[in-house]
Amino acid sequence: MKVVPGPAGYIPTPPAFEGVELPPPGKALLYGEIVDEEVAMREAAKALLTRRNPTIFPGPLVLWGWNASAMEKAKAVLELAMEIPNCRIIPMPDYRPKYPKIDPEAEINPNHPNLTILHNKIEVCIFVGVHCHYANLSLRMIRAGTNCFTIALCGEMGHEDAMVSLRDVHAEEIRRFKDVVVQVREELGIKWEPKLPPENPSLPKENWETLSVLDYGEYSYLLIPRKGEYVPESE
Amino acid sequence: MGLEYVRISPGFEKYMPKDYVDLVQYGPFGRQVDVQQLGQFKELVEEHPMCAGCFMAYFIRIFYAALPNPEDTIVIGTAGCARLALSQAAVPFIYGNYGDTNAVASGLKRALTIRFPDKVKDVVVIAGDGGLIDIGFGMTMHSWFRKEKFTTIMVDNEVYGNTGGQESGMSPKGVQLKMAPKGKQFDKINAVELAKVAGCVYVAKLAPTNPKRIARTIRRAILAARHFGPTFIHAYTSCNIEYSIPTDKVLEDARKREKQDFAFYEWMTDEVKEYFEEIEKQSQEVKV
Amino acid sequence: MPEQRVVDTDYLLLEAPRERKFITGAQAMAEAVKRANVDIAIAYPITPQSEVMHLVGDLWAQGYLKDYYRAEEEYGAMSAIAGAVRGGARAFSATSGPGLLRGLEAIASWPGHRIPAVLGVLTRVVNAPLSIQPDNIEIAYLLNCGMVVLHAENQQDVFDFTLAGFVISEKVDVYIPVAVCTEGFFVTHAKGYVSMTPEDMKLPPRDPYKAPVPPTDCEIPPARIQRDAPVQKSNFMSYLIHAVWQQEVWSSNIRAMKYIYKYLGGPIEVVNPDAEVFIVASGCAAAQGREAVRYAQMEGLNVGLVKVKSIRPFPEKEIREVLKKAKAVIVPEHNIVGWLAKEVKATIPDNEKVIGGPRVYGGMTLPVELIMEKIYDAFGIKKEKKVVV
Repeated sequence: MKVVPGPAGYIPTPPAFEGVELPPPGKALLYGEIVDEEVAMREAAKALLTRRNPTIFPGPLVLWGWNASAMEKAKAVLELAMEIPNCRIIPMPDYRPKYPKIDPEAEINPNHPNLTILHNKIEVCIFVGVHCHYANLSLRMIRAGTNCFTIALCGEMGHEDAMVSLRDVHAEEIRRFKDVVVQVREELGIKWEPKLPPENPSLPKENWETLSVLDYGEYSYLLIPRKGEYVPESE
Repeated sequence: MGLEYVRISPGFEKYMPKDYVDLVQYGPFGRQVDVQQLGQFKELVEEHPMCAGCFMAYFIRIFYAALPNPEDTIVIGTAGCARLALSQAAVPFIYGNYGDTNAVASGLKRALTIRFPDKVKDVVVIAGDGGLIDIGFGMTMHSWFRKEKFTTIMVDNEVYGNTGGQESGMSPKGVQLKMAPKGKQFDKINAVELAKVAGCVYVAKLAPTNPKRIARTIRRAILAARHFGPTFIHAYTSCNIEYSIPTDKVLEDARKREKQDFAFYEWMTDEVKEYFEEIEKQSQEVKV
Repeated sequence: MPEQRVVDTDYLLLEAPRERKFITGAQAMAEAVKRANVDIAIAYPITPQSEVMHLVGDLWAQGYLKDYYRAEEEYGAMSAIAGAVRGGARAFSATSGPGLLRGLEAIASWPGHRIPAVLGVLTRVVNAPLSIQPDNIEIAYLLNCGMVVLHAENQQDVFDFTLAGFVISEKVDVYIPVAVCTEGFFVTHAKGYVSMTPEDMKLPPRDPYKAPVPPTDCEIPPARIQRDAPVQKSNFMSYLIHAVWQQEVWSSNIRAMKYIYKYLGGPIEVVNPDAEVFIVASGCAAAQGREAVRYAQMEGLNVGLVKVKSIRPFPEKEIREVLKKAKAVIVPEHNIVGWLAKEVKATIPDNEKVIGGPRVYGGMTLPVELIMEKIYDAFGIKKEKKVVV
C-alpha cells in the first residue's frame, strides 16, 4: 500500500493492516516503503519547500524541559524551524481532549487534529516529540480527512501513517535533517534568511503583573461589585 | 523531579498557548496557595462542561486549590459527572472502567512506591456514590481492608447523575428517581461508618459550604494518607438538575443539609491526630 | 535477596545456555516470572492457576519480585494490574475459566489503555455447570479484545512464551498485553522437560519512558495528561477518534508478529511440510497431533502437523502457504465451539477440506485414536472396529 497524502476517505485503512512494516534501524519510510534515510529526508525537504503553510507540531516531549536531552531537542527543532521558509510552529502541549474547543491557530490536539490542519490550510507538517500512540492517531486522522503531507520525526521506531517517517530521531538527527533542508533549498533556488517563526497568537499583549482593576477606569465596577451590591446573574 | 516536567523548554515560551504559559508562571506548582486566593492565581482546572449550579464543580475547584503537592499528585476517577471536570485539570487523571477506581489506585500507588520510594506521590480517588459504593463496593472496601495508602473522596450527589438520574445506594429513602418509580426502598448507606470499620485512618463528612474547611479537610486527608493508611472524605455535592434545586438556591440547600445529616464530622486515629497537631503547630510557627 | 544479574534481552532469550529440569507447567510459568525482573504480581485464587500464583508469591517472599498481594476478585486484580502498569511497573497475573470472564471487562480494556503485561491463562471449564477440569473455550472470549494470544503446547512452551511475553509486550511498536494460554491440569499439573536459562540472569527492568504512551507518574510531560479520556465525537473530538484508536490497537497486534518470529521461532511449527493430510492444532491438542503423526507415519501414511503457537496475531499467510496442497485438514480441539477450526476455515480459500474435529471438552482427554479415525477417513481407509464383549 502506498501511503500518500489524502483525503483517504470516510474511514482510513491502517497501513499496518495492508502489510506496511516499520523500518529497521538506519532506514526510513517513504510512502510506506523502506528506503535510505537520505532519500526520505530529501523528499520531506522538497515537500516542506514546495507545499503551502509548512508547520512544525512539537509535542510534549520537546515542549516541556523535563530533562537535558529534551531541551537539546527543543533547541534543534527551533534551528530547523528557522531554515524552513514561512514556517509556523503550532504546539501540541498535551493529549487530553480540551473542552470546549481548542484554538486551532494556537495549538493542535490529537483528538481532533483536523481542526488545526483545515483551519490553517496546512499542506505539509512535521510531528516531533509526540508519543507514538498519539502521533499514530493524529497521522491517520490527518490522512483520512485532509491533503496534508505528514513527516514524522520519531524518537522510537517510526510511523506507517506518515508519508515520510524517520526513526531514532534525537537532536543530532534533527540537525542533519535541517542540513538536508538547507541543501535542497539551495538546489531549488529559494532564497530565505533564517528567521524564527511568528509567536503563538494566543499569547496576551498585556502584562498581567502590572495590570490592575483601576486600568479599566469607569468600567472597573463591572469587575468588582460596589459594596452591598448583589449581582444575581452574570454572563 | 516533579517540577521539571512543568517547565517549558527554553525558546518555546512564545510558542506555547496562553493557558500553558499562565499555568507555569502563575500556577500553584511548587508553592502553597490558599483557597481564599482563588482568582489570584492560575487554577489547575480549566473550562469544563458541568451544569450551571453543579455543586460538584465548585467542590472540585476547591479541591485543586487545596492540593499540597499538585505537581506530584495523580487523580483517579471513573464514569460519572466528576470526571468531566477532573479531566480538564492540569493534574494527571486516570479513567478506567466503571467502579474500579480503588483497585487501580491500589496498583498505581504500589507501583509508585516501588519506583519512587523516597518521593511524595499522592494518589487521590474522586468518584461518585455509584462508582464507590454500588458497583465499586468490593474494590473500595478491600482497598481499605488492605490499608492501601491513598485518599478516596466521594462526591455524593445521591443519584446516578451522568446516566440521567437513577437511584443510587446513597439516595435517601423514599425519594422518587428513575429506576425507583415508587420511591427508594432502603435507607441511605452509611459510608462513613463503613470506612471506619474497614480501616480508614482519617474519615470526614462534610457539606462543602466553607471553603477554608473544605481545603483543610482535603489537605489533612492527603497528608494522612502519605504515612498512615487509607483516608476517606464523604462530601455532599448536590445534583441540582435531578433534585430540581434552582441554581441560586444550591448553597442554601447545602447549608440546610449541613444542619441535618451532613453536619461536619471528622474522625481519625490517635496516630494521625498527633501527626496533624505536630505539622499544624509547625506551620503556625512558620507563620509567626 | 537472591543474586541475579541483568543481561541483554536478546542474549537471555536466544543465546543463554540452558539447563534441563523436569517440572510442572505451573512451575515453568513461575520460573519464567523469576527470570523476567517482574515488579508486581497480583493474585486471586481459582483452580488451576492458583498454583502459578502460589509459586509467584513465594518468589516475592524470596525477593525476586518487589510487590505481591492477593486481590479481592479478578476484576479488582486486573484493574490493579492496569493501575500498576500505568505507574511504570512490570506486572504479571494469571487466571482461569470463570475468573477470566469475571475480569474480562478490565482485560479487554488493557489493549486500548496500551498496558504491557503478561497474563497467564490456565484454561478450565467455563460455567455452567461448574467443573475445574480442562477446556479451552475461554480462549474464544479473548480473541476479539486485541491482545496478543499465545497457546502453549507443553511445559517448555509455557516457559518460553511467558519469558518472551514480557519482552514482546514492552516493545514500543507493540505495547499491548500478551496472554499465555495453556491447558489447566494437562500442562499445569503434569511434569515435562523444560530447558531453562540460568537462574541468576534476569531481563533488564522495564523502562516506562521508552513507550508509545507516557506513564502516569508525574515525572514526564505532558502535565495535563489524561492518557485515555472518554472520546466520543463532539465539537472537540473527531468522529474518527475512537476508530483510529481501535485501529492502533490492532495494528500493534499485527506488529507483534515480527517479534514472534524473532523470539519464538515463528507463529507456526510444521512437521512434514509435504504431507497430504495435515493436522492443525494448538495447545495440548498439538501434542496429541504429534503422536498421531508418529502413528500415521508408522503405518506409512503421509500426515503432517501444523502447530499454531500464536492465535493472535493469527498467521494467515503462513497457514495458507502450508495448507495449499493439502487434501484434508484435521483440527482437533479441546472445546465445543471449535474456535481454531473457525480461524482456519476463514483463512484458507478451499475450506471444505477442513474437518472440524475431533473435539473433546468438559475435561475429557484427547486420545490419539480419535485423531487416527479422522486420518483414516481422510485417506479413505476402512478400519474394522473391534468390539470386545
